Amino acid sequence: GVSPILLCRSSQALLVWVGSVAAQLFSVLSLSRVAEAGQRRVLDDATRQRRLNRQLDALEKDNFQDDPLSSLPPSGPTARLPAFSEGEEPGKKKRKTRGDHFKQRFRKNFQTLLEEENVSEREEPNYLSAAAPPSSLPPRLFCSVCGFPSSYTCCSCGGRYCSTRCLITHRETRCLKMTL
Amino acid sequence: MTTLVLDNGAYSAKIGYSHEKVSVIPNCQFRSKTSRLKTFTANQLDEIKDPSGLFYILPFQKVDFADTSVVITEPYFNFTSIQESMNEILFEEYQFQAALRINAGSLSAHRYFQMNNQELCCIVVDSGFSFTHIVPYCRGKKMKDGICRINVGGKLLTNHLKEIISYRQLHVMDETHVINQVKEDVCYVSQDFYKDMDIAQLKGEDNTVMRDYVLPDFSSIKKGFCKPREEMNFTGKYKTGEQILRLANERFAVPEMLFHPSDIGIHEIGIPEALVNSINNMPEEMQPHFYKNIVLTGGNTLFPGFRDRVYKEVRSLTPTDFQVSVLQPPNPISYPWEGGKLLAENPDFDEMVVTREDYEENGHFICEEKFDI
Repeated sequence: GVSPILLCRSSQALLVWVGSVAAQLFSVLSLSRVAEAGQRRVLDDATRQRRLNRQLDALEKDNFQDDPLSSLPPSGPTARLPAFSEGEEPGKKKRKTRGDHFKQRFRKNFQTLLEEENVSEREEPNYLSAAAPPSSLPPRLFCSVCGFPSSYTCCSCGGRYCSTRCLITHRETRCLKMTL
Repeated sequence: MTTLVLDNGAYSAKIGYSHEKVSVIPNCQFRSKTSRLKTFTANQLDEIKDPSGLFYILPFQKVDFADTSVVITEPYFNFTSIQESMNEILFEEYQFQAALRINAGSLSAHRYFQMNNQELCCIVVDSGFSFTHIVPYCRGKKMKDGICRINVGGKLLTNHLKEIISYRQLHVMDETHVINQVKEDVCYVSQDFYKDMDIAQLKGEDNTVMRDYVLPDFSSIKKGFCKPREEMNFTGKYKTGEQILRLANERFAVPEMLFHPSDIGIHEIGIPEALVNSINNMPEEMQPHFYKNIVLTGGNTLFPGFRDRVYKEVRSLTPTDFQVSVLQPPNPISYPWEGGKLLAENPDFDEMVVTREDYEENGHFICEEKFDI
């Protein structure tokens, strides 16, 4: 048969060859990734926190929209009636100001009302003390793209992802877009 | 003298005379398109309900105010400026004969005690549109030290669902009402979160969690609906021209926020933990009684599987010698209203209200004293 030494040598050579190809491949990939990483901006903690806070605030908004049709002229039978002067106007105006009056008064939003309340001066329990404390369990993290549990974080913006496919989607769509 | 009971919620107002049935009306601003003169208004304000929400009573009910007393609900720890404005509106604008401002949970507790006379304490979970409150009640009085407010409500769930659908499938950020319908039709509370996550990742027929939802197009399909499983097409596209949303893990991940707000980044405890936390702040001898009488109210409790999940989580967090019992009444949304109706028929009712004469003599002070909010 074949000499064992020869076999050994050739398998060694094979191993060395495979190793070198792998090393080249690795260096190419890592070089490209390193180059890319050098170009990508990394957000610091404060910015990340601000982004998160903005997202959370967006979740709290009330979707209170003005009726988009209110600016249109009235349709139907009333449209053909001529607009009365004096007689009708004060009546209409009065009704409108009644609703608007309250809107003016309550234009202070929630934050100002809260500050006005001087909650720290009241004795416990009050609005602030009733807020739920943070959880003692660690938070569960989910991929920002598909929603399944995630194990990895994007280096640049801190968004979570679960697989490289989701990372690619994240990089193309959301990463560093709409940054503060 | 009739009594009008109004449960003033941020999403819907439950209103009715105490001798009639309740009607549930969406609490938002309506403008009649044909006659611009009439505005049925009930505004929404950030988290605290705007007292001018009472406007809609005027055209809707044609109430004879001078002869009516009103029972109206408020959030816990409502700001004094709003409380005072509310008093002004009730007595000066509408001129009600007498008024009672109370928390919605107190009405639920009253209703509960009415049904189970032998119980002394109960703890009410009111999970509504703006937030969720956990409130212990003992002998009809709320225990202020135990009140816990989680800033997660139906509004947050719907907004979150809108965001993830807009990112993953179709831009729906303006369609709050449609997505609210989707949430109510399709979402459920899972009993085993990670198992459901694994099932949702399977492909094709094995994925029992996935559902298709047909969106309304307001011409042929007026209201969206969930396609039944038999009609679902797992491979390829649908031939009909309807718009479809394919929902898998969103179905149970969205209500999960009630149990773990930290999933989304809100650093607060969820409902089961808040229950345990709240009860632990109570005196020791009362604690077993609270665990036996947990009452779920509010729109968010209508998710399928909610009650069982709350029971499971609370059970796992409490020692075995306590008996845990979670009750979900048949209609969680109008449960406080029914409590208000019973309260109006209670002989003690006349002592609890503030009459218009009282108010005109003493002003806000008497309301602050009498209404223990």
